[in-house]
Amino acid sequence: MEKYFDVSYIWQTLPILLPFLKVTFMIAGLSILLGSFFGLFLAIAKLSNSKIARTLANGYTTIMRCTPSIVLLFLVYYGVPAVAENFGINLHDIDTAIFVVVTFTLQFAAIMSEVIRSSYGAIDKGQYEAAVSIGLTPFQAYRRIIFPQALVVALPNLGNSMIALLQEGALAYTIGLIDVVGKANLIIASNINAHALEIFIALAIIYWILSLIIEKVFSILEKFFSKGKKTLEST
Amino acid sequence: MSEGLNYKFLIDTFFVALSGVPVALLVTIVSLLIAIPLAFSLALTRIYRVPFIQRLTQLYVSFVRGTPIIIQIFIVYSSVPLLLTALFKKYHINVDVYNIHPIWYAFIVFSFSTTAVLIEVFRSALSTVSKGQLEAAHSVGLTTFQAYRRIIIPQALVVALPNICTATINLIKATSLGYAMSLQEITLKAKVAANVGYNYVEAYLDIFIVYLILCSVVEYGFKLYEKHLRKYKLANA
Repeated sequence: MEKYFDVSYIWQTLPILLPFLKVTFMIAGLSILLGSFFGLFLAIAKLSNSKIARTLANGYTTIMRCTPSIVLLFLVYYGVPAVAENFGINLHDIDTAIFVVVTFTLQFAAIMSEVIRSSYGAIDKGQYEAAVSIGLTPFQAYRRIIFPQALVVALPNLGNSMIALLQEGALAYTIGLIDVVGKANLIIASNINAHALEIFIALAIIYWILSLIIEKVFSILEKFFSKGKKTLEST
Repeated sequence: MSEGLNYKFLIDTFFVALSGVPVALLVTIVSLLIAIPLAFSLALTRIYRVPFIQRLTQLYVSFVRGTPIIIQIFIVYSSVPLLLTALFKKYHINVDVYNIHPIWYAFIVFSFSTTAVLIEVFRSALSTVSKGQLEAAHSVGLTTFQAYRRIIIPQALVVALPNICTATINLIKATSLGYAMSLQEITLKAKVAANVGYNYVEAYLDIFIVYLILCSVVEYGFKLYEKHLRKYKLANA
């Protein structure tokens, strides 16, 4: 009876889908964590004096920006085990979640490196010089002077990148990961494609609410960190 | 699969993937053509704070930003046929909905999502042009339309162009999801070719290269255009 649109179906599927958000969160969280690390290295390479490092880091970012996530996902999914096999390592049996994390780490690192680079560039060089001139070590200057200021600049971009990552993560179902989208597709398959629309709407609602939450959290964070900035400026 | 890459397949499939480029570009261009005027007018409703439409636009942007494109595709692909069958039944139009070419769905989905992105791009670009520009244009006797066409838009375009470029690249990348609507574009074509001999690594390498070339060309084109626009701006300053 696929002609009937039944709103109650949306509410029925929500409780079934919600437990699978755990998987989505785990993937997103790990990718953000690892991607930020890797992105930091890329940003350092982009800001370094070495021309090779800069070219490599910029090239990497361009390549990542030009590749659809789904292509990267499959490239990692099929490519990494194939490469590993040449070295005699069997990766065919490991969890698909690992491939997903690898993919989105690679992608998030590229985005992150741009976020870090641009926010670092927004901070006046005089800040660092002033900090060093009053006797702070370079590390202290970065930690206490540059980082807090760069963070405020980076926050809106960071929020947007996280929302983007969460949404790209919806593609993980294509390589067989059972997250919210994967579970939704399983439900639809077991219903013989009936009520697919209602289930997709339920998914859309979940993602919409998630991104609204992220947006809200980041705007609160921004307000919180900017407050410190203002008091510093006024004194 | 341990015998390494199948180079013959790699080269053959490259051209198969390449043959999907026109479809991907067609979807991109049509979606942009629909989205740009629509997004511009909706951005104006935000700027002029048109009471009800403004709210609606906000809601629309927030929805599109908040949901993955793949889910938008799913929703459109499963809802539009239902709506159309109901509509056709009501008016006794004898068209089989399930024979509609998937490219039409692609146009709907991608212009739907691109419009939302571009609304924000145009809004932020228009707000960088100071109000005095419009007032000055009015004071020398230009109509509002003329003022926008000759004064405001050229200035806003310079600001908006990098973001439009990003939106275009994202759109090209998003067309790879057309496979979910069985749209015969780059990804699906290469994937089908790979299904025969399980040469997935080669197929995806090809797709990867094709997108890389496509996006680099588009990015380069936008950079040239931006340079052109900036030059124009300097000459007038």
